[in-house]
Amino acid sequence: MLKNYFKIAIAVLKRRKFFTFISLFGISFTLTVLIVLTAFIDKVVGDDYPDKKRDRSLYITSIEEIGKDSHSSSPPSYYFLNRYAASLKTPEKITLFSGFSGTNTYINNKKIAINYKYTDANYWEILEYKFLEGKPYTRQQIDNGERVAVISADMKKEYFGDVASVVGKYIEADNIKYKVSGVVKNLPITSYLLYSDIYLPFTVAKRDYKHKAYLGDCMAILLAPSKRDVSKMHTEYEQVVSKVPMENGQFTSIFSHASSYIEGYVDTGNEKSSGVTIALSVIGGFVFLFMLLPTLNLVNINITRIMERSSEIGVRKAFGASSRTLVYQFIVENIILTLLGGLIGIVLSLIALYLINNANLIPNLDLTINFTVLFCGLLVCLIFGLLSGVYPAWRMSKLNVVTALKAQ
Amino acid sequence: MYRHLFKLIWNKRKQNSLLMSEILVSFLVIFAVFTLLVYNYQNYRKPMGVDYENVWVINYDGDIGIKDNDSINIFYETLRRNIKSMPEVKEVVFSSNNIPFAPVTMQNGFDYNNKHISHVNSYTVEDSYKDVLNLKMAEGRWFNKTDAVTRYQPVIINRSLKEVMFGREGAVGKVYGEGADHNKKQVIGVVEDIKFKGDYAEAGYAHFVRADTASFRWLSRMMIKVTSGADATFEGRLYKLLAGQMKNSNIEIEHLANKRKNINYFALVPMIVLSIVSCFLIINVALGLFGVLWYNISRRRGEIGLRRAIGATGKSVSSQLVMEAMILTTFSLIIGTFFAIQFPLLNVFNLSAGIYLTALGLSVLFIYLLVMVCAFYPGKQAAAIYPAVALHEE
Amino acid sequence: MIRLQNIEKVYRTDTIETLALNSISLDVEKGEFLSIMGPSGCGKSTLLNIMGLLDAPSKGDVRIDDQTTQHLSDKQLANFRNQKLGFIFQSYHLINDLQVLDNVELPLLYRNTTAKQRKLLASEALAKVGLTNRIKHFPTQLSGGQRQRVAIARAIVGRPEIILADEPTGNLDSAMGNEIMEILMQLNKEDGTTIVMVTHDENMANKTHRLVRLFDGAQVQ
Repeated sequence: MLKNYFKIAIAVLKRRKFFTFISLFGISFTLTVLIVLTAFIDKVVGDDYPDKKRDRSLYITSIEEIGKDSHSSSPPSYYFLNRYAASLKTPEKITLFSGFSGTNTYINNKKIAINYKYTDANYWEILEYKFLEGKPYTRQQIDNGERVAVISADMKKEYFGDVASVVGKYIEADNIKYKVSGVVKNLPITSYLLYSDIYLPFTVAKRDYKHKAYLGDCMAILLAPSKRDVSKMHTEYEQVVSKVPMENGQFTSIFSHASSYIEGYVDTGNEKSSGVTIALSVIGGFVFLFMLLPTLNLVNINITRIMERSSEIGVRKAFGASSRTLVYQFIVENIILTLLGGLIGIVLSLIALYLINNANLIPNLDLTINFTVLFCGLLVCLIFGLLSGVYPAWRMSKLNVVTALKAQ
Repeated sequence: MYRHLFKLIWNKRKQNSLLMSEILVSFLVIFAVFTLLVYNYQNYRKPMGVDYENVWVINYDGDIGIKDNDSINIFYETLRRNIKSMPEVKEVVFSSNNIPFAPVTMQNGFDYNNKHISHVNSYTVEDSYKDVLNLKMAEGRWFNKTDAVTRYQPVIINRSLKEVMFGREGAVGKVYGEGADHNKKQVIGVVEDIKFKGDYAEAGYAHFVRADTASFRWLSRMMIKVTSGADATFEGRLYKLLAGQMKNSNIEIEHLANKRKNINYFALVPMIVLSIVSCFLIINVALGLFGVLWYNISRRRGEIGLRRAIGATGKSVSSQLVMEAMILTTFSLIIGTFFAIQFPLLNVFNLSAGIYLTALGLSVLFIYLLVMVCAFYPGKQAAAIYPAVALHEE
Repeated sequence: MIRLQNIEKVYRTDTIETLALNSISLDVEKGEFLSIMGPSGCGKSTLLNIMGLLDAPSKGDVRIDDQTTQHLSDKQLANFRNQKLGFIFQSYHLINDLQVLDNVELPLLYRNTTAKQRKLLASEALAKVGLTNRIKHFPTQLSGGQRQRVAIARAIVGRPEIILADEPTGNLDSAMGNEIMEILMQLNKEDGTTIVMVTHDENMANKTHRLVRLFDGAQVQ
């Protein structure tokens, strides 16, 4: 029976080439956009290089101080994190690091813009950066205030050119020469928590990084000994923060959370509006509106296709096909069509991703299709096929045999 | 004839409801895209208000580790003199960090005559700011040395703020604020709007405050106007000079023209992505409309043949079918406009009603055109139907 | 009233040439009720289409009201049909999405009449066929006979001089068919409308003034 359906479906699709084209175009295009979107989101928030221990890590990325008339939020300071986060009991390890900021260097009359970031020694233990050569700077070197740096592969290429090894050479940034201790694999700027061109020890910062203020330019990652301890770690930090004294009389409350990677990634810096909710509703709204039109379009075309075939349906009914078999037939037809469209869509997405990667819109952001993305695509296809097939099929089952036969 | 077609479509409203909802959703999508485009375009058309060519920005850390106010001043005056002594440098200015094209915002409220205006950008700048950025005055004058000692605190506002605050009357000389005289502010000039957030963003409301000796504690940006011959070699030299003098500070030199480009990306990328996506959506919808209209017409061959028999010309048949599609569209657009008009009425997103209305007009026009194009060919096919054949098919 | 001279109609496809009408000459007088009979495929519908200016002959001349119709443009033809001719079909060809009154008004839409006048004329036409109480119904709510009466009302609403009826009773039972025939005969008698009717039904044909028989595209009687 199924084989029979299949044969008929292919024949029908071949017969009405124009409608088939419209349907395929709609399905494959919609799927392409959704796959590119999923690939992007998946890469941006799902890529776990270099923080491979995400499942037992919590991120502290912001602090918010609220008073009657005042409100300020920013990443916390080194002072704040060192005092309140570093003293937590649950975490196995804690790292503090600054956000990235920019400076320049001039070499051979060429200007190079450099993003730099300060870290502690634990940074290299918690995060599993891939070292292409050399190694991270040690606790000892940090304590001694040695001018050492870990640089990214891109930075190496831009500053030193195509040379085999640069470990031990000096790189000048911000008018200071740093000895290169290691070279790591590049990160895209979308991993903005961890991205940088050169990584430096806190102790070589020109500014007084221990300045006593709550607001600053620092973030922390807390690593729990096991997954089970993550929630305990979260609670412990909440408790510590709730006991933090106000910085001055202007403020009445302080908020800071140790949150999962995704929560930290989309943090708005505002206690009242959750970044996750906003991100989800924006993406959800876009996907809904975006799918609504092609679905409506497909439903429209499907109804047209059915009405056009009303005499065929009439004949089938007259010769004993039940409404149910007809509905099945139509839905199978429609699912074949959607899957076909899905296949084209996947090919188109591969092309689109290739083009996007080649255009290098965001350096080092290599979008790929993985199983998550493919699964989403397949799911979308099925939803699509069902949504656009069910209503027309219902209309078809209501079709009166006599009028259907007379219509032609 | 219109009434006749109107009746025909009204009686077929159930069959046409899907088509109508499709047009309705397309309209809403197009309306959203046009609103964004119109908003950006209107902003784009307005003058930038600053000359960004050959202006360099120096980011430094304001906290240089000197405690005493006088020493700070001496430090910065020396720095300024040293920079200005370089032949490539025309002018130097210190500013708060919300310089043009920077993603930094500092805002506060503004009260005058019981009128409260919020989200007024506040810039702390020096006398040379006007020359570095080549600002245009609309009224009054820019800051100068005489503003150091005044009864009220002198401020300069931009044209947008002046218009909403003082309307048509002159703003210069107006005093506002509460408390003692030295806490009150007096407008001494009105400057033409500056698009601080790039070509595609609104200028917004702005007021400028003169930097005093105490400001140097927290100012963290310098802008310098250089000659057109200034190159990377010079930039390297400038960098050495700055790094040599400000030992406790990280320093970064950027070019204002590049900052403009970067901030424009934030407006352009969503616009381009949205336009491409909606383009494909529209092609999708257009093909669908075309298919459905075509099919509808082939289903109505009998009716078309009859109309021809009783005296309709081929032309009037095809124009009738196009008109029908247009009336159908009109139904959708009426509903769509009802939704769309809520945006200016409820003042969503704080955009001016003019933007919404322009976008509304454009979307209505666009949808009509789209439907017309889609109905045109099927209409022509209908005109070619041979009545003698069509009438005897059944 | 209608004068056909040496009408020939050839249908061509890629491979075959079919002679649908072969040298037909026919005069229809003013006020005449003429019927055309013949087996299926004899060309009677083609002949009616040519008389109704829906189809052009391959050869020969069609004169209506002493006016040659050979060189009329699409617009002039349409106008001509609208003013002079009324059509009735076997399958009624009513527009199902319009109410009875609107269906009847249809021919008036293609000339300059006011809405009020249209309504008046359509009501009058409907009164003539005895359907005054059905004007707000949709065609699908009517019986076959009623539908054909609506079609007749539509044909006469523009006061045409000629009515062309293509098997008007073909889809109806004999009682309803007779009813329709009565109406047509009354129109012919009272208003002097010229009627040309194609039919299969010998009984119906016998009620008319003159009978023309066609066989394989040629006139046999």
